[in-house]
Amino acid sequence: MAGVLATERTLPGFSFENCKRNSTLLQQGFKPPTAQKTGTTIVGIVYRDGVILGADTRATEGSTVADKNCSKIHFLADNIYCCGAGTAADTEMTTMTIMSQLELHRLNTGRPVRVSTAKQLLKQLLFRYQGHIGAALVVGGVDVTGPLLYSIHPHGSSECLPFTTMGSGSLAAMTVLESSWKPDLTEEEGKVIVRNAIAAGIFNDLGSGSNVDVCIIRKGSVDYIRPFDIANLKGQKQNNYRFRRGTTGVLSTRIIPLVTESEEIKKTEVESMDTSA
Amino acid sequence: MSILAYNGSAVIAMKGKDCVAIASDLRFGIQGQTVSTNFEKIFEMGPHLYIGLPGLTTDTFTVLNKLKFRANMFELKEDRKIAPDVFLSMVSNLLYERRFGPFFVEPIIAGLKPKTFEPFIASMDLLGCPNKPEDFVVAGTASEQLYGMCEALWEPDLSPEDLFETISQALVNACDRDALSGWGASVYIIEKDKVTHRRIKTRMD
Amino acid sequence: MHYNSVIEEKLAVSTSIIACVFDGGVALGADSRTSSGVFITNRVADKLTKITDNIYCCRSGSAADTQAISDIVSYHLAFQKAETGEEPSVATAAAVFQELCYNHREQLTAGIIVAGYDKVKGGQVYNIPLGGMCVEKKCAMGGAGSTYVYGYMDSNFKENMTEQEVKKFILHLLALAMSRDGSSGGVVNICIIDGQGPPRKEFYIGDQIPKYGI
Repeated sequence: MAGVLATERTLPGFSFENCKRNSTLLQQGFKPPTAQKTGTTIVGIVYRDGVILGADTRATEGSTVADKNCSKIHFLADNIYCCGAGTAADTEMTTMTIMSQLELHRLNTGRPVRVSTAKQLLKQLLFRYQGHIGAALVVGGVDVTGPLLYSIHPHGSSECLPFTTMGSGSLAAMTVLESSWKPDLTEEEGKVIVRNAIAAGIFNDLGSGSNVDVCIIRKGSVDYIRPFDIANLKGQKQNNYRFRRGTTGVLSTRIIPLVTESEEIKKTEVESMDTSA
Repeated sequence: MSILAYNGSAVIAMKGKDCVAIASDLRFGIQGQTVSTNFEKIFEMGPHLYIGLPGLTTDTFTVLNKLKFRANMFELKEDRKIAPDVFLSMVSNLLYERRFGPFFVEPIIAGLKPKTFEPFIASMDLLGCPNKPEDFVVAGTASEQLYGMCEALWEPDLSPEDLFETISQALVNACDRDALSGWGASVYIIEKDKVTHRRIKTRMD
Repeated sequence: MHYNSVIEEKLAVSTSIIACVFDGGVALGADSRTSSGVFITNRVADKLTKITDNIYCCRSGSAADTQAISDIVSYHLAFQKAETGEEPSVATAAAVFQELCYNHREQLTAGIIVAGYDKVKGGQVYNIPLGGMCVEKKCAMGGAGSTYVYGYMDSNFKENMTEQEVKKFILHLLALAMSRDGSSGGVVNICIIDGQGPPRKEFYIGDQIPKYGI
């Protein structure tokens, strides 16, 4: 809280300042607006040399498509990625928080972080908030123990599986995985299964749509392919709908010039280091 | 009724070729009653950086003040102007702090990146989830109408003049089908060497 | 409109679990179904969770709650082992479980059976149902599916069974429970802890699970 003259100090963690006001407004019949959700299809599978994660790219706000090409496969560490479903802000912020914690952990230990560490940090955070942080995650990665895949639910439970799916399109995606996943898949076979699973979500679930993103994590390398497949190609415009210049009635114009006061160009020469002596 | 529809608003931003545009309506109302027709919802945060804050007006101002404070502190600490993508994180974090008791605003950011002058637009939901599309962003009570207009009118690489016509017509026509927004509109075209602010003619009903 | 109904329901390990002592140790058994409402989110779940080398637990109730409790208990027991250098006793494990389950009984949905082997008392089974009570039993069951098979347990459980007998007893009991209870199913997991080497985990699938004709 800011004093009369004292500057605002921002404390770490959540602020509950507005809660009382917002619940009063709710009592008066003013509904809070819908937050952006990723009514999603996300999948992950283990294949011979690693894991493959897949996601659709639609974000919804109620029944409106808020983002046609959002990215749902988040970076956690060089060897770990994470798909998120549920409240968009929650998946984004939890993965970002854990990403920074994992990087600090890596710097402290001097080792690549393990997938189970990422899973444990995520589930402990989600359990602490008792499901109020609506993030459903599929964590995949490769560490010293090999390829690992976890699914984490919003209340903080996790399971380690060879193939998994989450989000509103998970029912559609699971049909594909249950019928076509088998142990020891090749990378090419794996990619096709993941694509088909996401496509099943895109075409059969209203909350999922647009493109297929895929992330392949092997020992020592990662391929993040976005988009992997454009499942819904937009048609070309047949006509030009441009308005003729001057259509809009202008009442007043104010031009704010932006003059560059000074420009300084510093040339950085490649420094040569004296290694003799 | 949604609390976002208490005051009524429409804000939109679009990318063009080496320029961006951000526009909003000028109505300030309290439910059905129009109180002012000269109410700007777009605020300057830097020479090449503007933010639109549609939603509940009391929160528009609270959020604006908090952002100005944080952006000023940033400039003092870093001795440089804040870049649009950095500013986006700042807004996003501010809103997510209030995850369990949010501000009722859906911010829209438009600007040019420093040095490269690359166009930048972004929007957020009220919890601060960033959205950075390649074409346009909309928010406010007229957002559904704006989505429709933009999907039809927007095309890539519009010049500043054409971008002005496109964004203005999208806004004006969308507001014609929204009772809670309209009553004048204000358009900013942000280019490398100048920002053009125009008030445009709209229906006043 | 909710597109996310599937993921918003709290995950429940609605289960059939059992643990009992036999000649030489303890045996734990569980089905493998985890569901969210009517959707089975995991058909091969492992509800027999390791706490220490010779203590396991069977989890029922909320998946998140029971996993979190198990993690905390394993932490405390590992810490005790590091400090004292001795294997924690099953009674200690049960006491820590009870402490957590009782103190947070308003917030938790967790029915846990702790079973294990220690040098002092041999094989032991402790049942900690919903309210956080703790009671030592020769044979304990839990979860929704168990209600269908109490009669079977009462008529077929004997003290001092051999390992083969106890495995058969658990397999048939869980097969009966899984066939009547919709929230139980999948495969049968059995874990034998007898202090002779590490616990032995087995699972039975498909035709290995006995069928009872209706």
